Amino acid sequence: MPTEVTYGLPYDQWNWRIGVYIAMIGLAGGAYLTGYVADLLAEKRDSRQYGQVATFGYLVGLGGLAIGPPILLSHLAAPFRAMMIPLTMTNLGSWMSIGAYMLMGFGLGTTLMFLWLAFGTNRPHVQTLDSSNEVAADGGEDVAADGGPAKAATSDETAGGFRGAANKVGLMNLLDSIADYTRPSRRNRLVVGALFGIFAAGVLVYSAMAYGSGSTERVALWDPTFLLPVQILTGLGAGLTIAVGLAALAERDVGRPIQNCSLGAAGLLAGGLVAVLATLFLLPEQIPEAQPAVDNLTSAYALEFVGIALVGGLLLPIVLSIAGTLGVRRDALSDSGAVGAYVAAAALVVAGKLALALSYLMAAEFTPMPLPV
Amino acid sequence: MSTQDSNGGPARVIPNWESCIDCGACEVACQRTWDLPPESDRIQVVAIEHGTDNETNKPMQCYNCAEAPCIDVCPTEALHYTDNGSVRVSGDKCIGCHYCGVGCPFGAPQFPDGEVPEAQESEPLGARGNGLMDKCTTCEPRQENDLEPACSSECPTDALLFGTPEELSEKLDEDNVSTPFNEESAQIIFGDDADEVMGD
Repeated sequence: MPTEVTYGLPYDQWNWRIGVYIAMIGLAGGAYLTGYVADLLAEKRDSRQYGQVATFGYLVGLGGLAIGPPILLSHLAAPFRAMMIPLTMTNLGSWMSIGAYMLMGFGLGTTLMFLWLAFGTNRPHVQTLDSSNEVAADGGEDVAADGGPAKAATSDETAGGFRGAANKVGLMNLLDSIADYTRPSRRNRLVVGALFGIFAAGVLVYSAMAYGSGSTERVALWDPTFLLPVQILTGLGAGLTIAVGLAALAERDVGRPIQNCSLGAAGLLAGGLVAVLATLFLLPEQIPEAQPAVDNLTSAYALEFVGIALVGGLLLPIVLSIAGTLGVRRDALSDSGAVGAYVAAAALVVAGKLALALSYLMAAEFTPMPLPV
Repeated sequence: MSTQDSNGGPARVIPNWESCIDCGACEVACQRTWDLPPESDRIQVVAIEHGTDNETNKPMQCYNCAEAPCIDVCPTEALHYTDNGSVRVSGDKCIGCHYCGVGCPFGAPQFPDGEVPEAQESEPLGARGNGLMDKCTTCEPRQENDLEPACSSECPTDALLFGTPEELSEKLDEDNVSTPFNEESAQIIFGDDADEVMGD
């Protein structure tokens, strides 16, 4: 076992901002990818609720980008220099450079996909007056709000949801016009979405590699073999859980598509839970240097890791997602009860993802550094 | 004594841990010579096997690695090799992301908060403050004047050896001691010259 070297405790090269950044971009990448799958299903099955999950998946992608990268910039000593990314991030062998370019491509992709689904008079996956009429029946109505009288797409009376917000600031007509003008055909939109999905997948992988890759892989807890499945599965699961929660809240009822997505989210979160448990039990066997950090996770950071991340952020959302779906299917739970379960699961995974990222960061950073001597 | 122009790889400072008496003279020499801010630790006397009965304190600094992990991970190429193979940081390219700090297995990168003028950020021997990366320069200006780095020059027990890989090997042989590095570390630090320094 390498000699441990202590450079003065606490050893805190990175602080909570890096944890929040990693959690947010992981959520964003996962939400985009699961949203894209829902988008495909919506096209294939002509299902508006899958379309809702897709729309909110892209929205969560945008939200993650709106929160994560600015917080990272606030951590940097020279944030304005870093914002000149195309000029400054020139070492393409560095995962931070790769990640920066991935985030740029992903940002463009999730913006366009959200714009094309949520705005315009001919946006996909909205309720139509009849199947032969392609003009959206809900017109300018918030796509999130089901039922009620159809309104003109450019109505000033539109309220609620992101369309309502756009309307309030006077941007809806502009966004509708841009969306209608730029939106490709259905097939081409999905092809474009798949191409941007490569960037989303890259962001998801980067959310693991950002922890500190490099030729020495100095921090044993961040071994990519274990960390990649953790970040990918929890990112996909959390992203989908949030998209489902928001879609259910907007719909106020849970049809089969939302139920199916919820079960899918539970499966992904369960995969994430298994990956985390594998890290706890198998990583120290394979890399003994990881033992102090793993011990930290279950002792010094037990509240954040076991309490909030594992139980609150993974286990409970799995239970809520499954219980909400089975409850509705067996008539043991009202639609509003299921909506409540999905929304609670969504809120919990956000807290859990943040706690997981922070505990992985803190538990490792506050461990004496094993020096290869 | 070698200089940065010597053949056989750049001249480096490496520790002879068996001679170190934990006096901290190297830290003082470095800070005083370069008028560094108090937050800067271009060389640090650090705890080895901290919290155990075997705990000791030894000097650690940048080894100007031949296969430098910090250069691999630096997104902006602020870290780079000089013509003679030493590792340097350009303060005016560094964004202060600490990625090098996480990647370096020797804890060399420092990020002192002390305020320095913009002009000093651009100086080729490190930014020295503003939260940007700073590290040992093997006292390049002193070498240009045929002087050893301040830390090795002022170490009372010759616990800091300075020279090219070939010269370091000779010094270690003379003292009948080995480097504190294992094969993995030696490969990172000395690259193709690792076998020469490590010996049998």
